[in-house]
This record gives sequence, C-alpha cells and structure tokens, in this order.
Amino acid sequence: MAAWARLASRSRLRPSASGVCGPPRASPPAPPPPPRAGCAGPAAPPPPPLRRLLRLPQVRSSSAPTTSSLGDETVQRWRCLGGERRWLASEASAAAPAGEAAELVEVPLAQTGEGIAECELLRWFVAEGDQVDEFQPLCEVQSDKATIEITSRFKGKVHQIHFGPGDIVKVGETLLKMIVGDSQIVSPDNIFPSADKSLGEESVVPSSEGNIHSGTLSTPAVRHLAKQYGININEIVGTGKDGRVLKEDVLNYAVSKGLCKEQSSSLEESAGPVELLKEAEPLPGVPFYEDKKIVLRGYQRAMVKSMSLAAKVPHFHFLEEINCDSLVQLKTAFQNVNKDNTMKHTFLPFLIKSLSMALSKYPMLNSSFIEQTNEVVLKGSHNIGIAMATTHGLVVPNIKKVQSLSILEITKELARLHEMASHNKLSAADIEGGTITLSNIGAIGGKFGSPLLNLPEVAIIALGRIQKLPRFDDDENVYPSSTINVTVGADHRVVDGAMVARFCNEWKGLVEKPELLLLHMR
Amino acid sequence: MSVTGSAGARGAARPLMRLVTMSGAPILRQLHLEERLLRRTADNWCVINDGTAPPTIVMGVSGRVSELVEIEPVLRDRVPVVRRYSGGGTVIVDQGTVFVTIICDKSAVAGLQPFPRDIMSWSGQLYGKVFDRFGEFHLRENDYAFSHRKFGGNAQSITKNRWVHHTSFLWDYDVENMDYLKIPKRAPEYRLARNHTEFLCRMKEYMPSRSVFTDGVITALGEQFSVQPTDLETVLSNDEEFVPSTKLLSQQDLEEIVSSKGSSSLGVQEVEA
Repeated sequence: MAAWARLASRSRLRPSASGVCGPPRASPPAPPPPPRAGCAGPAAPPPPPLRRLLRLPQVRSSSAPTTSSLGDETVQRWRCLGGERRWLASEASAAAPAGEAAELVEVPLAQTGEGIAECELLRWFVAEGDQVDEFQPLCEVQSDKATIEITSRFKGKVHQIHFGPGDIVKVGETLLKMIVGDSQIVSPDNIFPSADKSLGEESVVPSSEGNIHSGTLSTPAVRHLAKQYGININEIVGTGKDGRVLKEDVLNYAVSKGLCKEQSSSLEESAGPVELLKEAEPLPGVPFYEDKKIVLRGYQRAMVKSMSLAAKVPHFHFLEEINCDSLVQLKTAFQNVNKDNTMKHTFLPFLIKSLSMALSKYPMLNSSFIEQTNEVVLKGSHNIGIAMATTHGLVVPNIKKVQSLSILEITKELARLHEMASHNKLSAADIEGGTITLSNIGAIGGKFGSPLLNLPEVAIIALGRIQKLPRFDDDENVYPSSTINVTVGADHRVVDGAMVARFCNEWKGLVEKPELLLLHMR
Repeated sequence: MSVTGSAGARGAARPLMRLVTMSGAPILRQLHLEERLLRRTADNWCVINDGTAPPTIVMGVSGRVSELVEIEPVLRDRVPVVRRYSGGGTVIVDQGTVFVTIICDKSAVAGLQPFPRDIMSWSGQLYGKVFDRFGEFHLRENDYAFSHRKFGGNAQSITKNRWVHHTSFLWDYDVENMDYLKIPKRAPEYRLARNHTEFLCRMKEYMPSRSVFTDGVITALGEQFSVQPTDLETVLSNDEEFVPSTKLLSQQDLEEIVSSKGSSSLGVQEVEA
C-alpha cells in the first residue's frame, strides 16, 4: 500500500493552465494504451495488477470541448478509444469532486482462488448511478461451492453494469465500469503523455520503436525488480505493448550486464524481492551432480499416508518355511491341461485359495480392530489383497470373496487386476474392502520380509522367492526341495504368536499336501 | 475483530469461538440462525446440529430445481425444499445427518486467505485430525470421503469480513430418500458416474458413535480456538429486522416449475450442481 501512496503523490496529474492536456507536438503521436483498470475483489486480495486509466482531460465546465480547442493528438486519442467520448468528459467531471479530473475505471472480476477461471454472478447490491464507498459490497458471485461478496476498491459512482444474475463471468472480464474521483487514483509515473508540469519532467509519448527517454512505461513490480538489480529502468528497451518494459526485459538486461545468471522463462509472478543467488561455477571437466526434487503423488502419496498410520500399530513378525514340491507339480499339471494360451498358471492362485481355507479356521486373522470400542470385526468375506508394484507405485487391489471362487476363477481375476494395475485403471471397488494382504515380493527377489500392515487389516503375508534348498525327506535322505519362506506380519493388539503359528501350520499343511485342499473344499 | 481467548499451549492467544449445539433442529431454522450469526455478529461460531427433522431437500443458492430434484415425488410426498444462502450442491437431510458449521471472522485463523480453496484446505486438515484414525480420510475436491466414498458435503459463503464453511455429514442415510434427488449434471470427477449408493458411505460404519464424532470436532477446533459453549437461548435475539436469504420453496413455486418444465430447457446454463 505504501508504494501506491508514494506513486500517487508523485504522479498526480494536474491540469495545465489552459485546462487542456496534450502531448508536445514534437513527438509523433501514437494511439494511447487501451484502458485497463483495477480490480474489484474480495476484501483481502493479493496485490492487484496495474491499473491503467482512461484519463479524460478535465474540461472547463463553462464550455463543451470542441475540436479546435484541443490538440489533434488528443482528439486522435479520443477517437481511438472508440465512439464519442466527449459527453463522457463532462459527465465524468460532473461526477467527480469539483476541481478534480474524473476517471472512468473498468473493474474486472478478480481471482478468487488458484485455478478458478470463472464465477456465476448471483446478484447485485448496487445499481447504475449509485454512489459507492471503498469496500462497499458490489455484488455476490458463486465460485466452486462458495458464495463470495465482491467489494469495491474505489469510492465512486457505478456507471455501467456488464453482467446480470445468472451470467457466467470469466476472471479478468469487466464486471462494471465506475467513475472515480482523481484524488484517490494511483497511477504509475508518467504513464500518460499528459504533461505533468509540476514535476518538471518532460512528458513522453511512447514511440513505435519503443525508445523511451524518461518516464518509462512499466509496472511497480517491474520497477522494483530493476531496482533490486540496481538498474536504471530508463536504460532498458521495453518489448511490451507501446514500449512497456516487462519483467523479461529487466532480466534479459541484467543477464546481459552480467548481473545475474540466465533464468528459465517461467518465472513466478511476485512483487517480492528477487534473490540474487550466485551459483557455484562448475569447474571445467568435473561432472555437476544435481539434486532432484520429486513431489509424491497418487499411489506414492497414498503410501506415505497408509504407512504412517501402520507405524502406529504394534507389529510382530512370524517366519515359516513351506515346502513347495507338491505345488510345483500341481502347477505343471495345470499348465499341461491348460488349453487357453493367454492364461498363465502361477503358484499364487493356489496359495490364495489355500490361504482362504486356513482363514476359515482362524477368522481372527481376517478381521479389523476398532480401537475406540475394543471391538474386533470378524470379516465375513475373504477379500485377499495382492500387493502389486506398478510403474506408478505400490497398489493393493483385492480379490473378493475368495471362499466362493475356484482356483481358475482366482487366476483369471488376478490376471485382470494385474492388467488394470499396470494401466493405472484400477477402480475404487478393486482397492477397497480388503481383509488380508499377500505380498509376493519373492517374485522380484528376497527371502524374508517384515511387511507392514495394510490397515485396517490385522495380518499381512510376505512370500519370499522359491529356492532350491537341500532338505531331508522322510527316509532322511537329502534331496533338492523347492522351498518358500513366508513372513506373517500381525497386529499384536489383536493376534498373538500362538494363533499365527497355528494358522501358519494349517496353511502350510494345505500347500504341502494339496490333496487336503480337495478334502475340505466346498 | 476476533476476541482473544485463553492462551494456548504455546502461549499464543487463541481466538474465541462460541459453540452452539442442537439436536434435531429443523434445517431451515439452523440455516436462518447461521445467516444471522454470519451477517449480524462479529464473533466466531461453531454450530453443531445432530440430526434434523423433517427430512428436507436443501439446494445451493443457484441450483435449478428441475435439474436437481424429482419434483413429482417431492410434491406428492410433500417433502420440503429449501434454497440455502451458500453455494454448492443438493442434499436430502434427515435424522441421520449431522451438521457442523464454522463461522469465522477473516482474521480469526492466522494466514488463512478468505478464498474458497484456502478455506476448504484448512477445513480438510481440521477434519483430517478428526477422521484419520477411523478410515482412509480424504478431502476429494470439495467433499470429505473415506477412500473413494463421500460422507460429507461442503459449502461456503464469503462476505466482506467473514466466512462460513458448513458441512452436512452422513452419519446414516435412507437410501429411499436419495430417490428424490437426480444425479447432478456436474459432479466431482472422482464420482465416476456412480449412483448414490455406490458413491456415498455411512459414517456409522466407520465410527462407534455420533458423540465420538462431535467430541472429536470440538477437540480439533480447540487446538486453534478457545471454544466456549453458548446457550441457544442467549443467541436467539429479537433481531426482527434481519431477513435471511435462505428460503423454503412453497408448494406453489414447485408446481409452477413442473408446469413450465417444457419451456425451461431453453437456454439453460450449466450450473454446478
């Protein structure tokens, strides 16, 4: 706010003795900049963009302005603004306090939040012709799910309302035009060709080549930036409209003067101080290793959340070894009778089915704990989650109601979930409702794990890889055995070691002797 | 404008927030109260209304009735329809709904800009503290959800110096009541064209009791405010001049809409439901 006040006091434009402001004839005339003005916005807005004012020279009230009394340039300016404006001059000055020039200000809809492009206008609190005070509510709009009161930044008179209730207004579009008295206008230095005799500076007209002698066109933010670099902004050639000096111009100038390193083109819009960080000059021939920052999103972000929660649960881990010889034979048998070339038989469906059968006997491991009431919910369905490592991160979809599925159906469903996961197309239903989780980390590698629970489940099982290890058979001879290490992680508030051990024995029995599966199958 | 409350843990003064708790209050009465507290007082408020009767349809400020509500069953069963003062979508509320409304002066929360998304983000964090231990809580677009299922809908109203953020929480809901509502044209992305039963969930399936929920909200607010329970009677005053904008649509209003339905589809603007 202080910057505004400073500018206001410096650049107050006072009418010359003749009552007419015009550019000096020496410079070639150019069309004046189009009007753009300040914002009406919610009461605590971010700093508004520069307001460009449509300046109407004050005219003596006794005579209406005629072509002959004004310089050609002024008339040309008026014409460029489109249509008759003469009547506005007298009306504008009538609306302003005596002795002050009046401004017609276009008031756009300000940003109401990041990424919000438009709002619906709900209702007006003022009408054309009304006098309004600074901060007085002008209208109400709807944005997202919020109704927002838009207040006035100026004291003045409502001249023209551009939208009605029910209309959609884009951010930046003009909501209304207001006539505002000069005393509160803040305009940047010498933005208009009008002479400011009291300052004793030459008035300027931006020429088409963009050469500016004094009084450069630019925003306060850009001036501040130039000041930061210790650059005289008047030295910079502006590439913006009408020779306006833009942020890029200042930075390019600074780079060319060796004041800063070249920066990327996407710079943040901020009026804050610019840091002049001197990066270490890389030594020739030495590789420059850079840190890289990655924002965690999607599955990765979900993992941060779920694992942080899991860390609060007291885990214990139980390790068992399962002999998979029979399983290997079974898989080969399945593969031989498999007429469907698209389907691949693996160990997992069998392990899933046998897991479900063991859970029927030990339902506590297929449960959920409610801390507040010390209740354990024994889940009816065996919705067995399978941890999958996708390119997007870890995701655990589950196979629903395994008790009612055959091994073939499990195989198909597993393939479908794999397909969905790899294309990041898993549905919410696929991911929700799991009751226990299997992590076949051994498919990638590893012997043991200490898996963390997938809350609100109470058990998780990590499968190591199948190894060929020397083991003793019933006749005490050493033979090569296909062995898999299984680590069970469990919530020790609900489940104890003895229960997990018994459960594991049950499951191991079914895997090592598949005929038992047949015996108990429903 | 905020009144300093008692000093918090770190010695910084927490602003005062008055707490009003009701149970079963009609939603129209609650909304009128909220408007009055917003527009006619300078204090920070939290209003909790546990359940409401009778079951009522509540639309946002600019919702088009014919697009959001099945008018014929509504007329037949005489379901009240209210247009509230805040933005947002349409809900049907009943005994299973728990309402929590937060009304704040714009300076009450340090560093919080009075814009919709900023307020939504702040409230999302507040409610995260309440819900995180009961389920996989998310702020999804403008909704509160467990995993991908919505259980809380939000709306806001922002005035010159103050703002309201209010939520209707689905402790429980009656599936048959949902039949009075159409599936809105504009819906949050994560809804993925699911119907009400697949899109929503009931809080009671995640939490042990309503009081655990409401106590949790009060505790979470207590971290940032000095929460002071206030009697409803002291709040209700003889402010007869004030006319709230929340309105109950009359039977006549609804009947007119039904009869003019044929022509109302012309030039219809997409309004966010």
